[in-house]
Order: sequence, then structure tokens, then C-alpha cells
Amino acid sequence: MRRMATPIVTGLLGALLATTAQAENLRMSWWGGDARHAQTQAALDYCGPKLGHTVAAEFTGWSGHQERITTQIAGRTEADIMQINWPWLPLFSADGSGFVDLRAHADVLDLSQFSDAQLAGGEMNGVLNGIPVSTTGRVYMFNKTTFDKAGLAVPTTWDEVIAAAPVLREKLGADVYPFEAAGLNAIFLVSMAVTQATGKDLIDPATNTVAWTPEELLEGIRFYQSLVEAGAIRDWRQVAGEGNIELFEMRAWAEGKIAGTYEWDSAYAKYADPLGASQELVPVKMLQIDGAVTEATYAKPSMLFSISRNSKAPKAAAEVINCLLNDPEAIEILSDSRGVPASKVAFDRLSEKDLINPNVAAANGIVLAGTGPVVSSFNEHPRVREAFADYLENIAYGQISAEDAAEGIIDDINRALRQFQ
Amino acid sequence: MESRYLGLAYLAPYIIGLLVFTMIPFLGSLYLSFTDYNLINAPVWSGLANFTDLTTDRTFKRSLNVTLLYVFLTVPIKLAFALLIAVILNYRLRAIGFFRTAYYVPSILGGSIAVAVLWRYIFADAGLVNLVLTSIGLEPVNWFGDPVNALFTITLLRTWQFGSAMVIFLAALQAVDKSLYEAAAIEGAGKWASFWHITLPLITPVIFFNLIMQMVQAFQEFNGPYVITGGGPLKSTYLLPLYIYDEAFKNFNMGYASAIAWVLFIIIMVLTVVAFWSSKKWVYYAGDKRS
Repeated sequence: MRRMATPIVTGLLGALLATTAQAENLRMSWWGGDARHAQTQAALDYCGPKLGHTVAAEFTGWSGHQERITTQIAGRTEADIMQINWPWLPLFSADGSGFVDLRAHADVLDLSQFSDAQLAGGEMNGVLNGIPVSTTGRVYMFNKTTFDKAGLAVPTTWDEVIAAAPVLREKLGADVYPFEAAGLNAIFLVSMAVTQATGKDLIDPATNTVAWTPEELLEGIRFYQSLVEAGAIRDWRQVAGEGNIELFEMRAWAEGKIAGTYEWDSAYAKYADPLGASQELVPVKMLQIDGAVTEATYAKPSMLFSISRNSKAPKAAAEVINCLLNDPEAIEILSDSRGVPASKVAFDRLSEKDLINPNVAAANGIVLAGTGPVVSSFNEHPRVREAFADYLENIAYGQISAEDAAEGIIDDINRALRQFQ
Repeated sequence: MESRYLGLAYLAPYIIGLLVFTMIPFLGSLYLSFTDYNLINAPVWSGLANFTDLTTDRTFKRSLNVTLLYVFLTVPIKLAFALLIAVILNYRLRAIGFFRTAYYVPSILGGSIAVAVLWRYIFADAGLVNLVLTSIGLEPVNWFGDPVNALFTITLLRTWQFGSAMVIFLAALQAVDKSLYEAAAIEGAGKWASFWHITLPLITPVIFFNLIMQMVQAFQEFNGPYVITGGGPLKSTYLLPLYIYDEAFKNFNMGYASAIAWVLFIIIMVLTVVAFWSSKKWVYYAGDKRS
């Protein structure tokens, strides 16, 4: 009996070791707001001991995170597990070799919880470089409390946004605005207007050049200018007066004086938290310009979890990712801190336990139900963003005409993307 | 250990640090400035391409102009302010030790991110400065939204960190021979004449030292504009170190960023050489025979 037991125990241990990594010291990096930081740390406190690993947390705000990751990757000091933004994939891993192939660790990472389409979003050159945490998109969110105070309904059309501006000023004060769009949001707003009017994304996927004509882009810029002129949004100069900070960090936002924005659905908590319990932030369906041919929903795979190609313990890292995305306990801890989860088991668990914030679920529902052309990742290429932002800022400061800016934006973006054409 | 090696042993930590953290990156950046390097793949030799590209780069020209303006504004203002405070603190006042410490503290804290964030809140539209202005009946100022004001605000932050220059000035003021002032007083010289004709000439070596140090530091300013304005508006605070940073870590163009860094280094070197050359005409050392 004893003779038989030894090989059986040895065999079982061997099988166990073959699929389970040894205790490892890992690092995980991500960006986010306070809620995400706290929930992710709590989830790691659960997953680490459960798997027998220690996981050091490295988290920052969004601003500067890409530069930090870039520096770490260049110096091969990046964390084992990284939260990666979808548009970064072609920058860090053009041929698919920039991150670990997650399919190589499918024995510990349950990929069956994700659809083929979701996994395709994390592939580069056929290699699964990242596992999508959620699908995200830009959604309009309004501070319902502010509109209630002024006796207004939350806007569902641009005409209502424009009509709300004088009412808010009159009833709540001269420094109250129904919406905010400068910097990045100005780019999104102009893009939304052009895409709604034309049905085309900024980038033509067949040629990787700008799909819009200067005239089409000009109309989008004019739409943005009309919002400024109507007092529906603060002008660029006013927003710059706040310094280099994001909207959710501004006092005007926290006090409900800026009552609307166009943000990622997964960032709902980041914008809702500063409002406190006394104010309610609600997502609304895509606002449309007159004559829109599509909603122009800007949807994309949200952040991905990737494993460093320099990680000494990729299997252990894959185990931790699996725990974060598919373990019932970790799912509940993380909840909707990264939006509505892409993992089926996570979505079912959170829905069953009623743990998805109804507003986050509603925001994600708007994104998933939205219509519009496929969004090219080049929309978020740093040079594309820079060209767009520089010209829009120059218009706002009266340095250039909208006509010249439309021509300039297209020329500069085409120049920036020449290497991909 | 033999005594001749003991000194080297003491120096070793500094020398190793200098080699690893300064010299190797310094020479590495020189090599990279002649390459096309995206941080992910190996550098590819591109000769002088990065430097020739700079000649047609509008952003570089704009950033260089802003940097020069910033340096030529900041350095004189900061030196004048540091000297003024040093002169005041050179008098025998009550609690002078406390005041000297208090004025020095900002130079320790001033370069930090936390103070830059504080600066951002102080000068924001609804910040402390505008609160004070409106309370005395003045119009609030858009400090960050106006290109001219934005650069001025960044300049103020650097000027506020006058402590280290002030301490060096204070040491120099205390080293001035008191008998010279007594002799001047006997001849009927007032305080202003004594300062102008005795103090200032005798501390010119220290003014020269502070000038070089502050100029080099100002050319490398990064934290202030990065945190407070992000280089805006209209790139009015987009100093060259920000451009280097963006090219290197946002646009994955480390070769080009290295080329800009070397151009910045050459500019600093040229201005330093000019300062040394001009010092023969205005810096007076002990035993100088010039009248």
C-alpha cells in the first residue's frame, strides 16, 4: 500500500506543480481614481495570499501614466502585471512580442470567459498581448442635481444643452455651465460632430489617412464654436485658467457648477465621487446634431491586463490576472471599478449580486447599444491628438481661422501617420 | 588600507554615482542623438538627421524662444530678490536666525511637485491670489489662461525659491571688511553709496557664481510648467525640458529628444562661456589691481 501511495502522491504533487506557479513576488501597475485604487489593492490582498504570491501595487492617476510605463519598459523595470490602454498596444508591441502571449498560460487563465471579439481586441499580430477588462466608450454624463435645482430636465439633445445655459446662469449663477469641453473633450466633441454628420471615423482604415474633407471638419469645428458662443461651455482660455488639472479635480465640478461632461463610461466613479452623496451624476444617450446619420458612439476595448515580457514569473502573473477577472470573491471586491466587466462570470456575478452601479451599467449599456463606424486606434496616437489639440487651442485664442485649422489638422495628421500608410 | 587609497575610498561613492548616473547617460544621450530610437527597438544610426530636422521644427523654435525668455526673466529677478533679502537679513535684527531659516525653506521645498501643485491652487481662477485681489476691489486675473501671465506665474515660482542664492549672498556680505564701511562713512558716504561702491564690487565673484548656477538651473526647469500649466496655453510655458520629455516618453522619439537635449546643453555652455568672458570686465577678486 505504502509502495503505491508514494508514486500517487508524487504524481499528484507533480500535476499540481505543473499547473500552479511557485510563490512569487510580483508587481502590478495601473492608473485610476481613488475608488479603483482602493478596490484593486483590496482584491490583490485577497488574490495574493490565496495564490501564495505577494503582489506589490503601483498606482497613479491617468496623467503621466503612459510616460511612466514607457520609461519602465525601456529600462526593463516594468511591473509583472500592467494595466495597458488599448491604443498603447501598437506602440509597445507592434509585432506582438512586446508582452507575454497570454494564450501560453491558458492553463491558469480562463480565456473561455471572454468572447472571440473581446480577445481579438487584445491581439497584436495574432498574439494575445492583453486581456480586455471591459468595453468602454465615451458617454454624456450630466449632474442631475444641478439641472433639478434650475427646474430643468437633464438634456437629451444639443438644443436642450444650449437652451439650458442661460437658465442655469440666471437661476444658479453666472459661473454655472451645462457642459464642459476643452482640451481632449474638445477633440472628442468635434470628432463626434463630424462623424455624426458623415458617418466616417477620423481615420480611413484602408489607407490610414484622414477620412474627412476640410469642409466636413470645418463644420465640426463650427459646431464646437457654436457651443462656446452660446455659453453652453466655458471657452478654452477660462478652462486653462484652472491650471493643468482634470475636470473631476476642479472645484467647479465638485460644486455642480459644471454640470456635464463627455467621458469614458468606466470613469463614472471618478466623476461621480467628487460630487458626494448630495449630487447625482447620470449618463444619457448620445446627443446628436441635426441631420446625424449615426450616433457616432466612440466605443473601444477598454484597458487591458498584460504581462511584461521581462517578467520572471509570467505564470504566477497569469494566475493573479485570472483571480482578478474570474474569481467570485475578487470580482465582488473589484466590482465595477473598471466599468462593466468583460468577463462573463464577472458580469453574471455582479449582476446577480446587484453590485453594478445602475449608472455605470446604464452608461455601459449606452455604449454597447450605440451605433457608429469602427474607431481606429490612431485616433489616440499622440501625434494625432497633439495636432488636433494645438489647432483647436489656436482657434480658441484667435491665432488662426477655423478654415486654416481644418486644413492644418488634416495635413498634420496625415504627416504623422505617414509611417503607417 | 594605505592612506593614499583611503581618500579614493571616501570619494568612491560619489565617483561611482557620477559615472553611473551622470556620465554614462550623458554620453549615451550623445550617441542616441545620432540615432532613430523608439525606446522599444534597438537604435538605428541616422547621422545628423535629428539635428537637421530641428532647423525646420516650429515647436522647437517656439520652445527655445520661450525657454530663453524664461531664463532671461527669471535669473535677474531671482538674483536681485535674493540679494535684497540677503542685505536685509545682514542687519542685526531680533530673531534674525528665525527669519534666515524661514526665507531659506522655500528653496528646499520649491522644486517639489507638492509645491507646484500648491502654486496651481494659489493662482487658479478661484485661488487665493484672486481671492485677495477681489477682496480689495481689483479684477481677478487669469493667471494660467493668458500666455503672458502663465509664463510670469512660472517665473514667480522659481523666484520664490531664492533661498540658496540668498544664503550664498549673505555669506559674501558678512565677509566684506567692515573697516571699508567705516572709512567710507568718515568720508561722508551714505548707505546707498557704500552699497554701490563697496558692497557690490566686493561680492561680484559671488554674483557671478550665483548667475552661472541659477542660469543652468533655469534652463533645466521642468516641474513648475509640467505640473502647473502643462506647457500651455499656446505653448507659452512649453520650456525645452518639457519638449524633450514629450518627444522621449510620449512620442517615443528618444533620438530626437536626445538631439534637443544636446542643443540645450550647447546653449548653456555657450552662455556660460560668454558669462566667463564678460566676468573679466565686471568681477573683482581680492588683490585685483584694477582701479
